[in-house]
Amino acid sequence: MLRKSLDRKISRRKFLGTTAASGTALAAMGSGLSRVAFADNHTIKIGFLAPLTGPVSAWGKPGLDGCLIWADWVNAKGGVNIGGQSYSIEFVGYDNEYDAAKARTGATKLIKEDGVKFIMMLGGDTWPGVEKIAEREGMLFSTLLPSDLSPDSTTLVAPCEVHPIYNVTGVEWLAENKPDLKTAVMCAQDDALGKPSVATYLAAFEAAGIEMQDEPLFFDPTTTDFAPVMTKLLAGNPDILCLDTCYADYVHPLCEQAFQQGYKGQIISCTADFYQKIIEKTSVEFMEGFIFQFPDFDDPALNSEGVNFVNPNEFYAEYAKRYGASQWGAVSWEYASIMDLWADAASRAGSAEPAAVLEAMKAGGTGKHAFGTADWWGTELFGIDNALVGDWPVVVIEGGKATIKDFKSIPAWWDKHKDLMIKHMTALGQMWNQRG
Amino acid sequence: MDLLWQTAVNATYAASYMALIAVGLVMIFGVMGVINFAHGELYMVGAYCVVFLYAQETFPFLLAVAAGLVFVGFVGIVMERTMFRPLRDNPLGGLIASIGFLLILQTLAVFGFGRRMGHVPPSTQGKIEIFGAILTYQRLFVIVAAILLLAALWAFLKRSKFGRALRACAQDAEAASLQGISMNQTARVAMFIGAGLAGVAGALTAPLVSPTPYIGHSIIVTAFIIIIVGGVGSLEGAVIAAVLYAFVHTFVTTFFDGVIANIVGLALMLAVLIVRPTGLFGARERA
Repeated sequence: MLRKSLDRKISRRKFLGTTAASGTALAAMGSGLSRVAFADNHTIKIGFLAPLTGPVSAWGKPGLDGCLIWADWVNAKGGVNIGGQSYSIEFVGYDNEYDAAKARTGATKLIKEDGVKFIMMLGGDTWPGVEKIAEREGMLFSTLLPSDLSPDSTTLVAPCEVHPIYNVTGVEWLAENKPDLKTAVMCAQDDALGKPSVATYLAAFEAAGIEMQDEPLFFDPTTTDFAPVMTKLLAGNPDILCLDTCYADYVHPLCEQAFQQGYKGQIISCTADFYQKIIEKTSVEFMEGFIFQFPDFDDPALNSEGVNFVNPNEFYAEYAKRYGASQWGAVSWEYASIMDLWADAASRAGSAEPAAVLEAMKAGGTGKHAFGTADWWGTELFGIDNALVGDWPVVVIEGGKATIKDFKSIPAWWDKHKDLMIKHMTALGQMWNQRG
Repeated sequence: MDLLWQTAVNATYAASYMALIAVGLVMIFGVMGVINFAHGELYMVGAYCVVFLYAQETFPFLLAVAAGLVFVGFVGIVMERTMFRPLRDNPLGGLIASIGFLLILQTLAVFGFGRRMGHVPPSTQGKIEIFGAILTYQRLFVIVAAILLLAALWAFLKRSKFGRALRACAQDAEAASLQGISMNQTARVAMFIGAGLAGVAGALTAPLVSPTPYIGHSIIVTAFIIIIVGGVGSLEGAVIAAVLYAFVHTFVTTFFDGVIANIVGLALMLAVLIVRPTGLFGARERA
C-alpha cells in the first residue's frame, strides 16, 4: 500500500545501505562524561573509570556516589597524610559505558590530562581496552572483577570484591540451611561478567550436592522481554532458581517473570540491587528468603569487631540522605572501601606514586579487607596473587529487608573444593591462561 | 504441552508490541520516505510518559497510556515540522536529523529521569490461565490494545476519506498533490500515527520492561529486521513479519537460548533478503 514511496524517494538498496551505515555509526557514538577536576599541589586526583550510563551503570554510578561521600569525610578531617603532608582527594570520573574502546580513551585522558595517581574500574569487558596502557604507564588500577587478573597485569589489583568467587558462600549457606533443595537452574547474560560467575555457581552447586536440571541459559545482553527465558528455566519446576551475576536491569524483570509465572521456589543471585523495587513489583512473600551477597550497610552485623569498613552504618545513612535509600546498590560502598586501602597504603609508603602504593598495599601478604583481614591470593586461579580474599557476607531478604545471615570464608571453601572451581572455569574458558 | 502453550503466549505478546512499533515505522517511511532512526526513542518516550504519569504522579494506568500515545504523537508532529518537512527532498538528511533527534531525546530522558532504569509497578497482578499457560492482565492489555489499534488503523486507511488520501500520497505524492491533497497535512497525520503507535507500545510495556533512556537501541534494531523481512513500505508485511519474528525468536529462546535466537532472527532476515530481496510483501524496484 505504501510501498510506492520506495520508488519516489529512496530505493530499497539505499534504505538497507544507509540503515546499516547508520547503525554502525550509532553503535560507535557515545558520550564520554568527564568531570574535569581542578586541583592544587595538595590535592591528589583519583580516576574513576566505570560505566556511569547504560545497563551496567548500576555497578558504576553508585560507586562514584559512595566515593564522593568518602572524599568529603576524608577531606573534612584534613585529607590523607602522605610523607608528613596532608593531601585532599579529588575524584575524576569518566563514563566508559562498559565499552573497552571508551575505557581506553578514558584511561589515557585520566593519566595524561588529569594526572591521576590511581584508577578504579569495574573491569570485565572494559579491562582489555586498558590493559596495555596500564602496563606501559605503570599505573595502579583496581577492578571489582578478579577474573581480569593475570600475570601480565602486575599493576592491576582486586582489593575489595572477589567476584565471582564469593558466590560460593551463598550456595554453601543455602546447602547448610535448606538441605532439602536439590535441583537448580541458572541463567546469565552472555558476557565477561556472566560466564565466570556461571562457572563459580556450577562449582558451588556441585560441591553442595545440588544437581543442575539443565545447562545454564545464556541470553543476549540486549534482551528486554524475559518471559521466554523464564519459561524455559521453570519448565522442569526446579527447587532453586539462580540468577547468576545478572545486571540489575535483568534481575528485576527476571524476578517479575518468575513471580508472574507462578514460581514459588528458592532464588539465589549474586546481587539484588534496588531490591525494594523488586518487592514492589512482586510481593514481600515472593522475595522472602532471596539469597544474595551484598548487604545494606545499616545492618548491625557490620559493627562487629572484624569488619574494617569505617563507620558502615553512618556511611549508609549519609548515602541514603544524599541519594535515597532505594538507590543503595552492590557497589555503593565498594570503591570507597578500596580507597580506604589505598589511603592506608599511600600513608605507609609515604608516597602516592603507583609503584610505591602497590608495594605497601601488598606488604606482608595480607590486607584490611572491608569484611576483615584477608590474604593476597589468586595464583592458582588468576596466575597472580593480586586478589584480596577473606570472608564474605551471605545476605537474605527477610520481611522485605536485606539481612546478613553469616560471614563465610572463601579460602576455606577453596581449600576443600578448588578442583571443582578450576574444572568449571576451564570448561567455560575462564582461567587466566585461557582468556584472550 | 504447557511449555508450548506458555511459549506461544509469550510470542503473542512479543508480536503485539513489535507489530505496533514496526507498523509505526512503516507509516512514517511510507508517507514521507524517511528512515526514522529515532523511532526506538519514541518508544522510550512513551514508556517514560507512564513512568511519570502513572508511577510518579499516580494517574490511572490507562490514562497514562492514552497520554503517552497523544504526547508521542505530538512529538512526531514536531519532528515532521522541524526536521522532515524542511528535508523532504533529502531523505538521507532526514535520516541524519533523526539520529540527532534520538540523542536529544535520550539526553532529555537522562536529565528528566536519571540514567538508571525507571520503575513502574504493575497496574494489576491479575492473570488468567490458557491451557496451562499463564497470561498476566498486563500482557493481555498489550495484546488487546495492539489488535484494536491496528484494526482501527486498517479501517481508517481503507474506509475514511483521509485514509485514502494518505494512501494516495504514499503511492504517488505528485499525483496526489495534483488532486488537491495536502502533502503537509498527510505527512503530519502519518507522523502522528506512526509516532503515536511507538509511544503507545512503550507506554503499554513500561511495567513489563525496565525503561532506561537507552532502551530504544534494541527496539529499533528489532523493528528494522521486521520491516526488512516484511518488505519495506508494507503495513501488512510489517504485521506478518512481526508475528513471524516474534514466534521464531521466542521459540528459539525457549528451546535453545537467547543468543542463538538473535542469530536465527538475523539469519531469517538474510534468508528473506536472498530469496526475496524486496521482503515478503515488498514491491520490486523499478529499473
